[in-house]
Amino acid sequence: MQDDVRCQRTLAKPWVSTRFIFLRFFSFLLFLQILLVVYTFFFFCPIPTLAAENELHGALAMDQQLARIEQLLLAQDVTKPPPHIDLAIWAAIVPNDNTLTAERIALGRKLYFDTRLSKDGTVACATCHDVSRGFTDQRSVSEGIRGQLGQRNAPTTLNALLMQTMFLDGRAPTLEEQAKLPILNPIEMGQASPEDTVKVIADDPEYQQMFQQAYRRVPNYDDLARAIAAFERTLVFLDAPFDRFVAGDATAISVDAQKGWALFNGRGRCMTCHPLNPSNPLGTDNRFHNVGVSARKQNFDELATQALKVLAKEDSVEAIDRMALETQFSELGRFLVSKNQADIGAFKTLQLRNIAITPPYMHDGSMQTLWDVMDHYNRGGEANSFLDGGIEPLALTEEEINQLVALMFTLTDTRFAEANQQQMERQRQVAQERRPFREEALAFRRILPFEQRVTGHENVTTGDQAKKAAAEGEKIVEQEKHDQQQGKNLENRPEGQETK
Amino acid sequence: MARRPSMKSVETKYYEERQQLFDQLRGLDRRSFLKVSAAAMGAALTQGIQFTPHSFQPVQVAYAEEAEAFRFAYISDSHLYDRKVNERFVRSLLRAVDDVNRMDPAPDFVLYGGDLAQLGKPEELDLGAQILQNLKVPVRMMVGEHDWFLDMGEKWRALFGEPTYSFDHKGVHCVVLLSVLEDDFWTVRGMTPMERMQTVAGLDNGIQSRFKVGEEQREWLQKDLASLADNTPLIIFSHSPLYKYYRAWNFWTEDADEVQALLQRFKNVVVVHGHTHQLLTNRIGNIYFHGMLSTAWPWPYAPEGLPELTIQMSRPDPFNPNDGCGDGACRVYTDGLADKVYNLWNRNPVQVTRTYMVSNGKQGLPAMPNLISF
Amino acid sequence: MRLLRLVWTQRWVSILSLVFVALACDSSPSPTSSSKTPQPQAPTQPSGAKEGVDVQLCDGETKTTVPADVERTRENGVKISDALMAQWKGKHPDVDWVSQEQEKHTIVPPHDNHNLVEKGQGQVYGKISEQDVLTWERETLKFVTDGSRVFHSSDELGSQIAVSCDMCHPNAANTHPETYPKFQVQLGRVALLRDMINWCIEHPVRGQVLAPDDPKMRALEAYITAQRKGQQLAYGKR
Repeated sequence: MQDDVRCQRTLAKPWVSTRFIFLRFFSFLLFLQILLVVYTFFFFCPIPTLAAENELHGALAMDQQLARIEQLLLAQDVTKPPPHIDLAIWAAIVPNDNTLTAERIALGRKLYFDTRLSKDGTVACATCHDVSRGFTDQRSVSEGIRGQLGQRNAPTTLNALLMQTMFLDGRAPTLEEQAKLPILNPIEMGQASPEDTVKVIADDPEYQQMFQQAYRRVPNYDDLARAIAAFERTLVFLDAPFDRFVAGDATAISVDAQKGWALFNGRGRCMTCHPLNPSNPLGTDNRFHNVGVSARKQNFDELATQALKVLAKEDSVEAIDRMALETQFSELGRFLVSKNQADIGAFKTLQLRNIAITPPYMHDGSMQTLWDVMDHYNRGGEANSFLDGGIEPLALTEEEINQLVALMFTLTDTRFAEANQQQMERQRQVAQERRPFREEALAFRRILPFEQRVTGHENVTTGDQAKKAAAEGEKIVEQEKHDQQQGKNLENRPEGQETK
Repeated sequence: MARRPSMKSVETKYYEERQQLFDQLRGLDRRSFLKVSAAAMGAALTQGIQFTPHSFQPVQVAYAEEAEAFRFAYISDSHLYDRKVNERFVRSLLRAVDDVNRMDPAPDFVLYGGDLAQLGKPEELDLGAQILQNLKVPVRMMVGEHDWFLDMGEKWRALFGEPTYSFDHKGVHCVVLLSVLEDDFWTVRGMTPMERMQTVAGLDNGIQSRFKVGEEQREWLQKDLASLADNTPLIIFSHSPLYKYYRAWNFWTEDADEVQALLQRFKNVVVVHGHTHQLLTNRIGNIYFHGMLSTAWPWPYAPEGLPELTIQMSRPDPFNPNDGCGDGACRVYTDGLADKVYNLWNRNPVQVTRTYMVSNGKQGLPAMPNLISF
Repeated sequence: MRLLRLVWTQRWVSILSLVFVALACDSSPSPTSSSKTPQPQAPTQPSGAKEGVDVQLCDGETKTTVPADVERTRENGVKISDALMAQWKGKHPDVDWVSQEQEKHTIVPPHDNHNLVEKGQGQVYGKISEQDVLTWERETLKFVTDGSRVFHSSDELGSQIAVSCDMCHPNAANTHPETYPKFQVQLGRVALLRDMINWCIEHPVRGQVLAPDDPKMRALEAYITAQRKGQQLAYGKR
């Protein structure tokens, strides 16, 4: 009887028996393997519902952005032109194959906020063109999938419908063409091809229905771009205190801003590249100018000469594409698109509308405040062989600079008034602490642009100070990124507060 | 002021050539197209010319015929005031000096085309001399009317030596003339030197006389050229155009015919002149005339008398004080012909090549402006 | 006798004054130059004094004393008026500014209205006379000539960098007044000729902008428009 119990006991506990050593061993191995699979799965294919800080790339969560956009966009009859846009201009900018309908706009909205369109499912248009951050990302350069950084500052989608070309080098002629490119860019949304992109959404019955209603076709890449463009054409934010002032309300903007407006048209020399008129209310001439920003942080002339030499030696397509994507040659701007020597280092004049809520400024986001921008222009930009000659020292006093900046703060749509106010306070504080681009000797023409390059005299610390300023700007970006990665909870962030 | 209605617009030409390439290469997509155009650019660049990708023709012009003798750069017509009076013109001259210092390969010398000062004042000429000292290559100075008529060349001589001289460079004979002398109009009017200068300084001031080289200088020139063989490459530098373009603005040399007669026997003569502040090209027989850009401001084209060969620059934008201005270079060949490069600021450079000149404008056309000139 | 002499002296003085007025005030100074309107003052000496007679011009400043014993002949009267005029010219060297300016710079003449001479209604409004036509022509030409004067003078334009309009626009070339009003790209809005003039004054010339009805602005507009006489209007042309 005792032997039977012992046997049973042994049988009842197979794990501790030596007969089952291998079983234990292989079970443990299996457990490890499962762990590995699970770990790999989570590491390489993160589930969007995790909503971790770095996976949103600093953007507000999409559902929250959607909620905000509902508040912002006014209900309107989409068959009519939006307010503040000239009828004839509207008729000219809406393409025949993409007239606005409610279905198309709804589809575009869904796509704009859909992170599935990116390779790893974390980046949507709204990641870098975030509703809560002025429809840009308020970062110097944008971040794409896997945390990769680009070289250029993201322009805002607000009022983008009135721009004549898209991207800072104008390489896309329409909103439709623009929407197609970031999806396929390996450092932005990273899809391998249009077909891959469509595959992601083609099986979704909701998308199938929406595409059918919008374009009467199955989901395809061209219509995807059209829908996004249609949605973007509703992002009209042209109702600012400035407009009320121009319409006749003298109390709509401060006295300082009014003086700024006089300067804008006069000694500030702003109006020529940033025209503001009823038919073109954006404050951009849609042209490309080299104002010297590229020249600040590198030997720009050497870069340009190098680029011309590269084109001479390596005449392959790969060389040109590589040039466009490589860090240094990206600084050549419009030249890479137009191949015109006059366009070397030229970037598009961006709009002044809502400028206050879309820092940092310039094509590389190197300027944190509007005071920095004014300092840059006041000193006559940065001398380089291709500098636009219209950029010359302005000899504006501090008071005049404040007036011009005050004017720029009046160009924000009233729906963003709170964000505007916060930016004004924040930028003013930053500007009071540091003005890295300020150079009085140049601004007041005691030293002239090109003088230091020609005479070699370092009596104005233009070169060094400017490089320092650029480095400082980069440090700020680094700090901000670091803060981000520390894990500020975006969902608790009140409306409009920027992350920097 | 288009004088060649038979020429196609630059857009038509552009798209036709582009279409030609498309047709030539089957199954061309955008990437291959870029490859071809890059190859064209590459070919163009290896020839050593500046990069002007307007044409999609694989080979722009026939460069390989003649060997290049040398190249020189030019800066002209800076019209400096004292720095405290006008710093804008100073900035422009500094920019031109910067451009020339960055030229790669470096030119053999720089020709300064005249009108260094605006009112011929000593401080203006000193300022100009000071700035030009920063050039890394030697400078050859030429005098303009704005430098001369305050003190009739006293300060100029002290700074830069005799206004008329010649030199040989790599087998090419170069002559620098003082072609802006004027018959005395000031004595009878009892003008002070500054009044005289201000009269001459006004382009449209009708009181002044027309420019001339003058008999004395023509005799000097004849002697200077006497020993040269007919096929000697010859470049004449003069401030005023050595022909008759527009009298009212002194785009004119009164004794141009006599001077041209002295040059007639040579195979090829290139005249490089200033004063006109615009893209200007002319050919009279064996003489090829090229205007130089100003650094200070552009002149409009005259209402009449514009030479047919001229490729006009389109109307400059007054917002940009550098538009329509710039500096440039000249590639001189062993046979005496030259390519003229206009390095217009904020515009693509324009090349007026020997092929264009020799073919009387039928071949080797640079890009024509498609906006109105003036 | 004394009374008669007084009257006779007065008459001489008045005749001489009329002569001076006719000579001096005819070449009126340029409307935009800084000379003030003269204020005539009463002669300081009572007429008929034994030492002589003060004769003065309508500017109230230029005067001379004619000794009492100078014979009152026509020749002497002319000599006195010549002397006074020489004095006046010495003080106002630009008196002949119109022809001086026209000598320097070609001014396109205004439309010739001579075909209107002897035309017009009968008695009430009278016929248009040669002098009428001449008056219109002279005044128009002077106004335009004054514009040329301002156009060519960096001082008159208030330029801080000694730049005048003719540096880029000799004989007002490349100004295209017939294309206004138009959208002027540099201004970012629709401009009239005077707006563009002001923009040019502010930027390339770096001077002080003029009020639209400033006499200099009006003169500049007149000169620029005059040089394009005969051009077709083409408003809105770039």
